[in-house]
Amino acid sequence: MFKNIVFTFVTINSWFFANAQTASGIEEETNIYERIYNAPIRVSRNQQLTFTDLNNKKPLLLALIFTKCAGVCNPFLLQLKENLQFINSDNPFTILVLSFDPRDRLGDMNLLAQKLGLENNKKWIFAVTDSIALLNQSIGFYPRWDSVRSQYDHDALLVGINKEGYITKKLIGIRDKLDLDLLISSVNNIYSPTYRLPNKNILFSCFNYDPKTGKNRPGLGWLFIALPAVLAMSLLLSISFIVHNKLPAE
Amino acid sequence: MESIKIKKITAVWIITVLVLFIVSIVLGILMRLNQGEIIEQSPITFYSNMTTHGLTMIGIWFVAGMAAVNYLMQRYVKTSYTANVIAYVLTVIGVLIFWTTTFVGKFHAGWTFLYPLPFKVMWATWATPLFLVSLTVFGLGWLIWSISLMTQLLKKYSIAQVFAWQHFRKNPKVETPPFILITMITLIGIITCLFAAVILIALFFAEYFSNGNFLNDALLMKNLTYFFGHTIANEMLYLGLAVIYELFSEVSGRPKWRTTWYVALAWNLTLIFILTAFFHHLYMDFAQPEGFQIIGQLASYLASLPAAGVTVFSVFIAVYRTEIKWSLTNLLFFIGVAGWVIGGLGAVIDATITNNVLLHNTLWVPAHFHTYNAMGNVLFSLAFFYWFTNQFTKNIEDGKFTKLTLAILLIGGIGFLLAFYIGGADSIPRRYSNYPTDFTAAAPLATMGAIFATIYLTAILIFFFKIYKGCLKILFSPS
Repeated sequence: MFKNIVFTFVTINSWFFANAQTASGIEEETNIYERIYNAPIRVSRNQQLTFTDLNNKKPLLLALIFTKCAGVCNPFLLQLKENLQFINSDNPFTILVLSFDPRDRLGDMNLLAQKLGLENNKKWIFAVTDSIALLNQSIGFYPRWDSVRSQYDHDALLVGINKEGYITKKLIGIRDKLDLDLLISSVNNIYSPTYRLPNKNILFSCFNYDPKTGKNRPGLGWLFIALPAVLAMSLLLSISFIVHNKLPAE
Repeated sequence: MESIKIKKITAVWIITVLVLFIVSIVLGILMRLNQGEIIEQSPITFYSNMTTHGLTMIGIWFVAGMAAVNYLMQRYVKTSYTANVIAYVLTVIGVLIFWTTTFVGKFHAGWTFLYPLPFKVMWATWATPLFLVSLTVFGLGWLIWSISLMTQLLKKYSIAQVFAWQHFRKNPKVETPPFILITMITLIGIITCLFAAVILIALFFAEYFSNGNFLNDALLMKNLTYFFGHTIANEMLYLGLAVIYELFSEVSGRPKWRTTWYVALAWNLTLIFILTAFFHHLYMDFAQPEGFQIIGQLASYLASLPAAGVTVFSVFIAVYRTEIKWSLTNLLFFIGVAGWVIGGLGAVIDATITNNVLLHNTLWVPAHFHTYNAMGNVLFSLAFFYWFTNQFTKNIEDGKFTKLTLAILLIGGIGFLLAFYIGGADSIPRRYSNYPTDFTAAAPLATMGAIFATIYLTAILIFFFKIYKGCLKILFSPS
């Protein structure tokens, strides 16, 4: 019970924190369909791989965190773990948790994995890299060091990388299962249809989408598609009427 | 006097169209050379050129068809010289404004300027509103011209007569010439799609000046864009067909083609089908109701049947086992019909939903529309230009050299198109300024396309110098 209360509290706080981070100006649309930097990553004391080695096997969901994070990192990973338990996707993927803090060592990451109870979960890889600057640049992720708090000011960022090594989608903040589903589809190159939600400033929609029922009702926009033909026919009839009734025939 | 003025303005149209055509071909060749990695253009230059190339080509071959139809229409009704001049002046102003946005402002949203691309400003900020102004200027001029021509037809013919409905009965008292029927059907289509453009531009302006208080619906904007774009691109072909129905038999020394019940029916149906075929551009838009997708496919099939079927049948009957007086004019018409049909088949293949999933974003698309334009509509207009110039100047044809020019045009045109078709069949994507290394055939095919397009350009330059001399004589002759 206590665990659940703490988890809920941390999640709610982090949600606001994450949203504040998102407002910092970083956008999910940047660097999409660009190739991720093929950084060397250390996953265990004896094993050094590259991004290509990993994403060639399975698409990656890359979570960027640092172990000394007092803010969003832990709730972000907890929520991610929680959400992924409920995703019954046949589409393959690996979650790579990578530290962007040069101070972090592999041991710190292993400790984090143990805290989360993921040290033996083969879907999850915890790793460090010595090429974090180049990697961040290729993603468009720019954490800022806050010397007062001795913390990084950063987004909770999950990056989707397909088997070809291209960034297909980014999720900023702690997101729900639906968004994760879209991310997993995108890294597996599966098309996900999207449509802009109703907006009071859109007066002439072809459809009015009801998010509650998921149904579309035809909107005023369709009238505009019929209008040109109606205008042309009206013009034809009007001109014919005028020239045959008011003007002398040639 | 009025007919002399129309003759002179037609000559001005021809010179203008050919000059703009040559510039646009050069831009096309540069794009293919860049894709072939022979030259290096920045992506911004590439897409600015693509925008200029596409919209200029659509515009010039539309006005070329209109100028030809206007000239020939005088055989039946008096046409307005003023409307013709207004259209010309506004077209020239429109081109100047449009080219300023692309060459100076680097506007590069493509000729389809699909919403919301024009608002994702990656060029000079003034270029977006100025681009919309250029479209307004074009639309205004062309609308005035089209309505003026339609009015002149309606002064002489009733609505039933101008649509040749009396031909559905036996022994009609009044005969509607095929030229009048096709012109009227086409003008209605043009006016309809120009109205679609008016609504589209108004919605663009509304959003632009609303400071975010008014937003457009992407699906509505895409429907309107292709209602305008697809329809005008097809109607300009029909203008060319009207000219063929009027001139092919005449220059071939054969009896004039007459309207029959099936010709009347075919063209009346064409009006409906051509106004609904644009839905095939939205197959990829999942939010579009399935019914419209089916209408799009059916209309694409049916639109090609009446016009193409009847025209091909008429041309075939006219030449099959018949002694024809072949000249460059009817040869260009004949080859143009073949190009139009081949391009049309390519279009129907692409308009089939199951094929479109594979072909839509590949080079198959530029393959088919370049076929019915570069080897179809362009030849229809060139044939008219030649015929027109021949009417008033000494014979500009000189046997062997003319045949050689035609051969160069064919070799260049076919080679250029083959590079597109092979690329499309190989799933090479369209609208890429530079191809990733994964597409191994893309760059060599682009180079091949550029080489053959240069051969095609050579033929066009030869045609241009012959036609332009004749047009200048017409322009500066006292009568």
